[in-house]
Amino acid sequence: MKNLLAAGLMVLLMVPYSSAQDLTADDIIRKVNDQFNTETSYGKSKMTIVTTSGQKRTFIQESWSKDRGEKNLVRYLEPSRVKDQAVLMLNHADDIWMFFPRTQRVRKLATHAKKQKMQGSDFSYEDMGSGDAFIEDFTSKRLDDAKKEGQDCFTLELTRKPESDSSYSRLVMWIIKENFLPVVIEYYDDNDPDYLLKAMIASNFQVIDGIPTAMKIVMHNENDNTQTEMELLEVKYDITLSDDMFTERSLKK
Amino acid sequence: MKRGIAIALFLLSVHGALAAQEKLEIFGYFESQFMGTEVKSDLYQLFSNKLRLDLKSDLTENITFAANFDYITYHGKKEWNILDFLSPDIVSQVPKGMERFYVLSFSNRTFLDNAYFRLSLKHFDLTVGKQQISLGTGYVWNPMDVFNIKELVDPTYEQPGHNAIRLDVTIGNAYTVTALYSPDDSWKNSAKLIQFKGRVPRFDYSLIAIETGWLFHDYTQFDLENMNFLELPERRRLLGASTAGELFGMGVWAEFAYNWMETSDNFYELVIGTDYTFDFQTYFMVEYYRNTLGKTDEGEYTLNDWMRFFAAEQKAISRDQVYLFVQHPVSDLISLGVQSIYSISDNSFAFVPVLNYSLSANVDITAYLNLNFGKQGTVFSKDMGNGGMLRARIYF
Repeated sequence: MKNLLAAGLMVLLMVPYSSAQDLTADDIIRKVNDQFNTETSYGKSKMTIVTTSGQKRTFIQESWSKDRGEKNLVRYLEPSRVKDQAVLMLNHADDIWMFFPRTQRVRKLATHAKKQKMQGSDFSYEDMGSGDAFIEDFTSKRLDDAKKEGQDCFTLELTRKPESDSSYSRLVMWIIKENFLPVVIEYYDDNDPDYLLKAMIASNFQVIDGIPTAMKIVMHNENDNTQTEMELLEVKYDITLSDDMFTERSLKK
Repeated sequence: MKRGIAIALFLLSVHGALAAQEKLEIFGYFESQFMGTEVKSDLYQLFSNKLRLDLKSDLTENITFAANFDYITYHGKKEWNILDFLSPDIVSQVPKGMERFYVLSFSNRTFLDNAYFRLSLKHFDLTVGKQQISLGTGYVWNPMDVFNIKELVDPTYEQPGHNAIRLDVTIGNAYTVTALYSPDDSWKNSAKLIQFKGRVPRFDYSLIAIETGWLFHDYTQFDLENMNFLELPERRRLLGASTAGELFGMGVWAEFAYNWMETSDNFYELVIGTDYTFDFQTYFMVEYYRNTLGKTDEGEYTLNDWMRFFAAEQKAISRDQVYLFVQHPVSDLISLGVQSIYSISDNSFAFVPVLNYSLSANVDITAYLNLNFGKQGTVFSKDMGNGGMLRARIYF
């Protein structure tokens, strides 16, 4: 998953429906991957966690992305407890830094930190990370097309490559044929490829700056029976972002 | 108290001046804390309440002002006799009639913790005023940090601000040079720092040079003129290096500093650490610390070692220590963890179970027990008392 997915920034590379029928799994996943990685983007989103006890926790964050997802910066605006906390990811999230405003400390994190839940939500940093994870970490296989969430979809099964350190052994993805946006992704356990951990459902598709975008994503944790909703409040594509923005110095601002 | 009122008025006047600015932000937290320790069959209890008020404003596109004001009150046992925690051998080194001076006092405090402005231009940031200074990559110990000493069982707690002028110059996107001057009563006693930070794929590194005045006390001699223990000021020069990155999928970091002292013995400090998050969300960390100011066994500890440790003049009494931390989120709101600090030098250790509970979006509860398992005279001796802490923090 990409940070852009988290921000709901899904880009359309339109292809004629007729030719889509002949696409291989690799063709499809490459197009999905391309959609997530616009040249630059900005998003402001609201993340609502429904906890096991039924309480709701809301976070508001801003995110910036550059160089087709190679550089990412996320900064929390609300609640006060996490205000100004920020995460910088470079080299497709191979390099991660986190800024803690209370101590003014920047901590370099190893990539294993991506396994941690983001602010206790059902998204892990791996889910939010950027890059070509669908291509680099998984091999794709095309399954029978299906209708999902009312959409005609390609169905792909992504199996983890042996050299990958992904936390998921397998993903099953339903991709809308019309625009190559994943509408549902199922995430399976690290050790048991048949054990469903969580499922993501995208909805409320809108065209922003000419680019189809999922304005709402819900991740449901089947194990804990918790749910996190990510709603896009604002999106901009292909904006001018300086490289200076993706530095440790910028992280502290 | 008058000082506190003056600071509050200052902040209010700043608020008034900044109110015209559209981006003035006011936030902070209230923290209520209970700490209890069993000492010689008695239970010492200390309650504290802390209000932290933060102001932040972008005065212009390039200038930021930030400040915070802290008001802390203490209740319960506000004077702790340090000698209650030390072995009879150490206590016997206290000069006759001076026992009453070995007291740790908790007085209500009102202070301006940080207040600075920052000028940010394309290639540099200039920060002037009282500001936090965080140096090094270590989690619990930071050999390069001559400004702060972290609490062993609470290492992520915020550190106080220091008066300084700081310049951060970026070179490209991967390198930063920092120059910092923290003034004291004279040039010699002031801290001068220069640091170079860079990165290579998956690793950050830094090199640092610091010169500062350093103040040890002789806790066996009392200066009647100043009504304090005898001061032993000297110049401290430090060269250090640090790195943080990833090896074989694990987080790794290291930090080293060598200190040249004007009169006392030179010493070095070294930290090496690693961490990992398992797929089942359990987080594991271990950090090793060596400080050659520390002694190699408890028989060598002196009253001065203990007092300098309690007074934060040196970071450790024993030479070699290991910190271990394991944490697991048992639910989306609760995490349980265990910290353990083992003194290799004197074979003692502390065991600290920790609970964090997110009561609501802006309310955190933290609780820990602090259990010591060393024999008498060791760093984590049972005589240090077993205790615990309960803290509620409400952010606004």
